[in-house]
Amino acid sequence: MKFTRLISIFMGASLSLQLEYRANFVVNLVETALRLLGSILALSILFGDGKAIAGWSFPEAMVVLGVFTFFDGLMGMLLFPNLSKIAEGVRTGTMDFVLLKPIDAQFLVSFRNIDVLKLPDVLLGVGIIIWALNQTGTSFFQIILGIGLLLLAYGIVYSIIFMLSTTAFWFVRVENVTELFWGVYRAGQFPIQVFPGWVRTVFTFVIPIAFITTVPAQAFTGQLENSSIVWALGLSVGLIALSRWFWRFALRSYTSASS
Amino acid sequence: MIRKAKALFTAWLSHMTIYRAEIIIWMLAGMLPLIMMTVWIGKAQAEGGSTGGFSSSQFAAYFLAAWMSGQMTVAWVAWDMSFAVRQGTFSVKLLRPINPFWEYFMQHVTERFVRYPFVFLVVVVGVLLVPGTVLVKQLEHVVVYFFAIILAFIIRFLIAYCIGLACFWLENATALDELYFVLSIMLAGTFAPLEFYPAWLRGLLEYLPFPYIIYYPAQILTGQLDWTQMARVLAVQLLWVGVFFVVYQIMWRLGRKQYGAVGA
Repeated sequence: MKFTRLISIFMGASLSLQLEYRANFVVNLVETALRLLGSILALSILFGDGKAIAGWSFPEAMVVLGVFTFFDGLMGMLLFPNLSKIAEGVRTGTMDFVLLKPIDAQFLVSFRNIDVLKLPDVLLGVGIIIWALNQTGTSFFQIILGIGLLLLAYGIVYSIIFMLSTTAFWFVRVENVTELFWGVYRAGQFPIQVFPGWVRTVFTFVIPIAFITTVPAQAFTGQLENSSIVWALGLSVGLIALSRWFWRFALRSYTSASS
Repeated sequence: MIRKAKALFTAWLSHMTIYRAEIIIWMLAGMLPLIMMTVWIGKAQAEGGSTGGFSSSQFAAYFLAAWMSGQMTVAWVAWDMSFAVRQGTFSVKLLRPINPFWEYFMQHVTERFVRYPFVFLVVVVGVLLVPGTVLVKQLEHVVVYFFAIILAFIIRFLIAYCIGLACFWLENATALDELYFVLSIMLAGTFAPLEFYPAWLRGLLEYLPFPYIIYYPAQILTGQLDWTQMARVLAVQLLWVGVFFVVYQIMWRLGRKQYGAVGA
């Protein structure tokens, strides 16, 4: 339980640091609200004629948007504030201090910082999911299954962003790579089935966005096929293992700048 | 004057050429119109070839033109200025015998030359991927588009510059720029051709600059407007350039008195 205790210490330290910048909190909230309004506008325009698209009704598509917003917030809160620092550590040589600490280095670079400003985004996502599920109807079992798939999806998101950030050991400047992932991730605000054939294949197998937003939403609304659960489980565990291996592999290239 | 412009142009062009890789990544990060294109094409296909009077190939033409217009009007000057003011490097720019406006302006103009070949490539691939797409019907439309996109860029640049000038008062204007960006994505016609927007919003948008940056230039290029409509769009664009130029002048005069010169 050393890890959970450390995480709570990290959270406390980040929180006290960020409370210095309270004005940002309001600005960020306004921005999130606007962005969400934009996504809802996009969906309502798309469903403007009242027809279901690829088997998705408007409230069902809103569940997907809720999951999208939830992960968007979660990435901003837990992943980007940490993983963007890997590149900095490699460039300036401060990665030395991370590697010397008596704790797993991947754990430390992944959980050291937390951006509390993004918490409202996460809650907003949860709010949309609850609102939309109220419209579509759900069951206790479906909610449990949905939460389970959200956890698997988090594993997928984490591994992808972690591996992208780890390429810093070779390329040094990788801030833009995460930017690129975010650009592609935006496609996840729509159910994967609304995309035409080959685009759907890309978003399922090459960049598995389908498993991040659509599959958990399907679990919540009870449309999930059993095979998707197996795929999500395999993909999540496989990617986490791969990220672990990739981290060790990358460390071998670390030359410790300026020391 | 011409000598100054030429010097700025060549200097910034070689500077921007170094950032080729980054420019491609920034370009791909702004993929939302292309994502929306595939979504609408998917909807059109599911409904038997067309939805709301648009076929797959018409959606492709609109969104490719809209994406290209978005790419040609990108402006990050607010972010740059905010950074320069906070770091104190803006003081150096103020000491030069040329308004920093022109330096930033040239920086953006030259970047277009580096960016355009890649943009063009993506558009060509897009046209080839969606069968039957006709991006340009008549060559005249390209000529009008050329002027419309220049005006659109100037509007966008002036807005960004005014937001950047706001950091004389606010110290950090990047948040404002983010807000503008989110609004413009919503209102410029990136989600859908404005024909699909709710009627009340559609009416309101006529009085805002957003559609004149992306929607109308895209409509001009794809040949959806007749000559009087095109003339009206150009006239309104000129009007917006005038409005934001006045705002810029006022902010510039007042702002310089406010400037705190951090770190000096």
